[in-house]
Amino acid sequence: MGEQVYFEDVREGEEIPQLKKNCSTQQLVLWAAGSGDFYQIHYDKDFAQRTGLKGLIVHGALKNAFLGQLLHDWVGEQGQIRRFGCSYRGMDEPDQDILCRGIVTKKRSEDGRHYVELDVWTENPDGKKTSPGTAIVTLPSRA
Amino acid sequence: MPDTETKFEITDEMRAQYGVDSAPWTYEVTTTSVRMYARGIGSDDPIHYDVEFAKAQGFRSIVAPLGYIGTPVYLPGKNDPTFGFPRREGGPRLNIPFRGLLDGGTETEYFDYICAGDVLAETSHLADLKYRETGRPMLFVTNESVYTNVATGKVVVKQRLTSIHM
Repeated sequence: MGEQVYFEDVREGEEIPQLKKNCSTQQLVLWAAGSGDFYQIHYDKDFAQRTGLKGLIVHGALKNAFLGQLLHDWVGEQGQIRRFGCSYRGMDEPDQDILCRGIVTKKRSEDGRHYVELDVWTENPDGKKTSPGTAIVTLPSRA
Repeated sequence: MPDTETKFEITDEMRAQYGVDSAPWTYEVTTTSVRMYARGIGSDDPIHYDVEFAKAQGFRSIVAPLGYIGTPVYLPGKNDPTFGFPRREGGPRLNIPFRGLLDGGTETEYFDYICAGDVLAETSHLADLKYRETGRPMLFVTNESVYTNVATGKVVVKQRLTSIHM
């Protein structure tokens, strides 16, 4: 985790630091164990192909968790994630880069809290947004 | 193979299940489960692994990574063996005919941190159904869950999950 980011330092339109992921099949199994989601399309290639898929795919909810990690790393110890989510529009494969990104869309202060809204997404090597979503976080103020 | 022949219809009986809460189910958050999930996402933040570090930061124990809201207590015959989620009384009964299943989306609202040692009571209800017949038929099922910390009685998370059946 880097230096603490403050509300006053953030500008609308600014991109937050990116997080790059690349899932081995071992990581997919680790996440399956952690989440309890043992759907075979994430570790059994034959099963995945029988369902019509080209091969194994990364869990959608794992990409959601990656976006959570992107936000967690950015808001620092004094920030807090209030809401985040994404929809799964494209499939990502193991051993392929998944770039997690976010852009600040709005800032507002309300009831003593300092909210920052963002567009967040995962991106495949072709630049396609495979998991677009939004987030709302609170950041500490320098005031 | 993709299921292109099966047809489905959203009935009034199905819509009547919108908002009808299931019975609660217990979700456990343990130091082992938090660490396992953190390994799964590839995090190296000690806040998810080191109890003393987390306590020094003001937390009651290690903090669950975003996306992890505990593990449902598994009772053979009462949980789905593939996904682990509970099959319980009061939940929606849709009799979905499609074999294919994909994640559609996840939205999570946090009202507090989740830490190891927490025990959560989760209730869920059917929130939305959408059926797309153009091209390959797809049924979008959205469920909403509310997680309450059993010790404090406080709602800590609300989550909407959409699954795609085809």
